Amino acid sequence: MKEIITLGLKLLLISLIAALALGYANDATKDKIFEQREMANKEARIAVMPDADGFEGIDLDQNGITDDIILEGYTAIKSGSQIGYVFKVAPKGYGGAVEVIVGISNDGKLTGVRIGNMNETPGLGAKSKEVEFYGQYEGMSTDNEIGVSKSASSDTEIKAISGATITSKAVTKGVNHAIDAFKGLSK
Amino acid sequence: MSKTKLQIFTNGLYKENATFYQLLGMCPTLAVTTSAINGLGMGLATTAVLVLANMAISLLRNFIPNKIRIPSFIVVIATFVTIIGMVMEGYLPALYSALGLFIPLIVVNCIILGRAEAFAYSNNVIDSFLDGLGMGLGFALSLTILGSVREILGAGSIFGFSLFGASFKPVLMMILPPGAFLALGILMAINNNYKSRKA
Repeated sequence: MKEIITLGLKLLLISLIAALALGYANDATKDKIFEQREMANKEARIAVMPDADGFEGIDLDQNGITDDIILEGYTAIKSGSQIGYVFKVAPKGYGGAVEVIVGISNDGKLTGVRIGNMNETPGLGAKSKEVEFYGQYEGMSTDNEIGVSKSASSDTEIKAISGATITSKAVTKGVNHAIDAFKGLSK
Repeated sequence: MSKTKLQIFTNGLYKENATFYQLLGMCPTLAVTTSAINGLGMGLATTAVLVLANMAISLLRNFIPNKIRIPSFIVVIATFVTIIGMVMEGYLPALYSALGLFIPLIVVNCIILGRAEAFAYSNNVIDSFLDGLGMGLGFALSLTILGSVREILGAGSIFGFSLFGASFKPVLMMILPPGAFLALGILMAINNNYKSRKA
């Protein structure tokens, strides 16, 4: 009996010290971590909308956007006036959700697309993070739905990453959903 | 125990290499070695945790009763891994974005629990430090080799640098899960062959 109490107390003590250390580390790093995440998000927004000097969050529900692929929406602002929108979407790829950040200017052109967190196959779907792929969207018109071609790109189609059609289609689907949201907002 | 300090250190590097000899930590080994840099990153992150956990367990070896050693080890290891993850995310974001994925995986790496149980619990702090460093670097080395082989065959590059030019048709399977088993099996066969010839 006495032994069980000793063992329990010792384990309690170890866990207590561990919990205190974790609590302290969490406290010391949480602001910094939040800051880093905010900064990474902001950098991605600037990358897809380089002309903007500020962003304002959009309340998606209040604006009637119920599409659950769309995670976040922002209006892009340049010297006080709104020049376009930035959306963060998360279509389903080959290895789970693929975060895609999409910039659309007021006149209905894609100003940029970037890939955020994702879990696609390295060497295949993960190539979507390279400019050869995401650069294709830049400058495309939002008038037509964007398609995916296996052979060559055109005005309305991007060229899929070879061996990663699922990822290519997922990113394109995300971009198309962002376009739909843009059309709803700019009506 | 009459091993010299150097023997303790080099033991894990090659002789009792975690991957090729002890076959420990197979889950991260197979999962992350799709490229040389991933293998190296995972190996170095594991080394850091292994060294810290080994030293902490060695310091606590007289305090932790035998009967509750396993839960105690797990608490210590999980605490270190979580703290390292938090500090890295807050202060070294570039490194975190490269390794972040692997950090939680280190908790379940049985090399760390294995060394705590087999070495640190019955040896002093300096020896435990050397053992952790040797085992960790040995693990990093074998993961880098495995990652390099898979990257060269599966993507035609090493550490991201293209090797053969555009005409090379990579064997995609090597960077997909089956390639992990094939590459590991073949490397182990080569290693065992070498060892048996020497003996």
